[in-house]
Amino acid sequence: MNNLIKIQELTKNYHTKEGEINALFNINLDIEKGKIISLVGPSGCGKSTLLSLISGLDEDYSGCILKDKIKTAYMLQNDALLPWLTIYENATLGLKLQKNITKERLEYVDYLLKLYNLQEFKDNYPKSLSGGMKQRVALIRTLAINPDLLLLDEPFSALDQQTRLLISDDVYKILRKEGKSAILVTHNIEEAITFSDQVIVLSKRPATIKNIIDIKFKNNDSIFTRRRDNQYEEYFDLIWKDLDMNE
Amino acid sequence: MSNEQKQYLKKLKNTKIKILFWQILLIIIFIFLWELLVNIGVISSFIFSSPSRIFKTIIELINNNNFFIHIFITLKEVLIAFILGISLGFLIAIILYQFKLFARIIDPYLTMLNSLPKVALGPLIIIVCGANSKSIILMALLINLIVSIITIYNGFLTTPSYQLKLFKSLNASKLQILTHLVIPNSYQTIIASFKLCVAQTLVGVIMGEFLVSKQGIGYLIVYGKQVFNLNYVMTGIILLALISYLLYKLIVILEKKLLKHI
Ligand SMILES: Nc1ncnc2c1ncn2[C@@H]1O[C@H](COP(=O)(O)OP(=O)(O)O)[C@@H](O)[C@H]1O
Ligand SMILES: [Mg+2]
Repeated sequence: MNNLIKIQELTKNYHTKEGEINALFNINLDIEKGKIISLVGPSGCGKSTLLSLISGLDEDYSGCILKDKIKTAYMLQNDALLPWLTIYENATLGLKLQKNITKERLEYVDYLLKLYNLQEFKDNYPKSLSGGMKQRVALIRTLAINPDLLLLDEPFSALDQQTRLLISDDVYKILRKEGKSAILVTHNIEEAITFSDQVIVLSKRPATIKNIIDIKFKNNDSIFTRRRDNQYEEYFDLIWKDLDMNE
Repeated sequence: MSNEQKQYLKKLKNTKIKILFWQILLIIIFIFLWELLVNIGVISSFIFSSPSRIFKTIIELINNNNFFIHIFITLKEVLIAFILGISLGFLIAIILYQFKLFARIIDPYLTMLNSLPKVALGPLIIIVCGANSKSIILMALLINLIVSIITIYNGFLTTPSYQLKLFKSLNASKLQILTHLVIPNSYQTIIASFKLCVAQTLVGVIMGEFLVSKQGIGYLIVYGKQVFNLNYVMTGIILLALISYLLYKLIVILEKKLLKHI
């Protein structure tokens, strides 16, 4: 089977002193290998919750998440770089923690540092880097451990518009080039369409799957070429309508 | 390097020299005024001593082979109590962080101990440990330990949740989270707690020496009071000021090492 993850009847409730919060209700979802999927939905509907259940960070749910022995890696809105480590030490943090520092992995890190013009800042501390550069380092840290599935939880939303486009294009290209699977949480419809193969629209809390839209473009070279495709507006309207009906 | 950069660096250096100059000048003026006011009789030499009298007292103490012993004894007690305080404080803070339930259970007792004036325990300590160095160190430890625990533990709690999430998503072990994240994240708080701890330790040691000792700077002060020679008292106070400044400086050096990324 080509499925990386199979989610069946997934339901998640949080229990707090103030009461029970139903975050997810009866989610059924297949995530294919090599596909990039976007999750859109009103804020607070349960998108981050779904990612943390998939990652295994939270194992308290009902229903079932079938996955092979896959390695997941997170990229968050906050780059979460450790200020007391250099750029290089930050980039290789995952390898260090997982005791997996091999020549091959380190060469890959070096390759990425060069690719994103970060080589000369290797020995600097994060405070000397711009927000965009820091998020690139976070990307390298995420890719360094060679994950099968990247969980991207609004990783671009703290960046300014221009940097946001550039970096999401970087991420898009590297995921495509390496054939990695990814789930992107975003509240930006444009980002969801240009970035992914499939957009999943969630309803407001408790999140249920409202619609699944397959995105197909002729030229998939970059998010910019995809943005220019004639089909783009059509997808936008479709998603907009699904989101709108929830309000 | 451009000319402007050179000028900028020069300006930085000049400011530094200026500050040092004024600091030295201030202390000279202070000493001079003190001496002058005592000599013309504006303030009492009996109570406030004077720089020259303090200098003479120091020479006298050195000649009696007492000077360095007093300093050495006090320094020794301070260092032992300080090192015990920060290492035990650090250790207990780690235990509290790992066992949050335990931390919640003992929280009210820590708060109680923290606000209790530990001097009140002095007589008890002396009865248990005897009138010796041990009592003094224990006294100082009681005073500095609770503060160390509470500040370091609170430092641990400031670890950002997104970084904890990152570490967990990278499958970091509890120990790795502690050594690679929670502790380095608290360097600043830890240093601040060291500074607090030094001050508290000095209070504890001097308090202890007041109560039991036969040597040390605290003893010098008590002795001076008993024989109505306030030159001893003033000398003791000056020595204490120097020691606390020295210890503080040592911590600043450590701070520069640990916090070079800031
Ligand atoms: N650890 C938690 N404990 C209790 N409630 C939570 C927790 N995490 C999230 N929630 C609640 O669950 C709902 C979904 O949260 P989240 O998945 O973060 O939403 P989204 O990422 O879509 O904005 C929200 O109402 C939030 O308040
Ligand atoms: Mg979220």
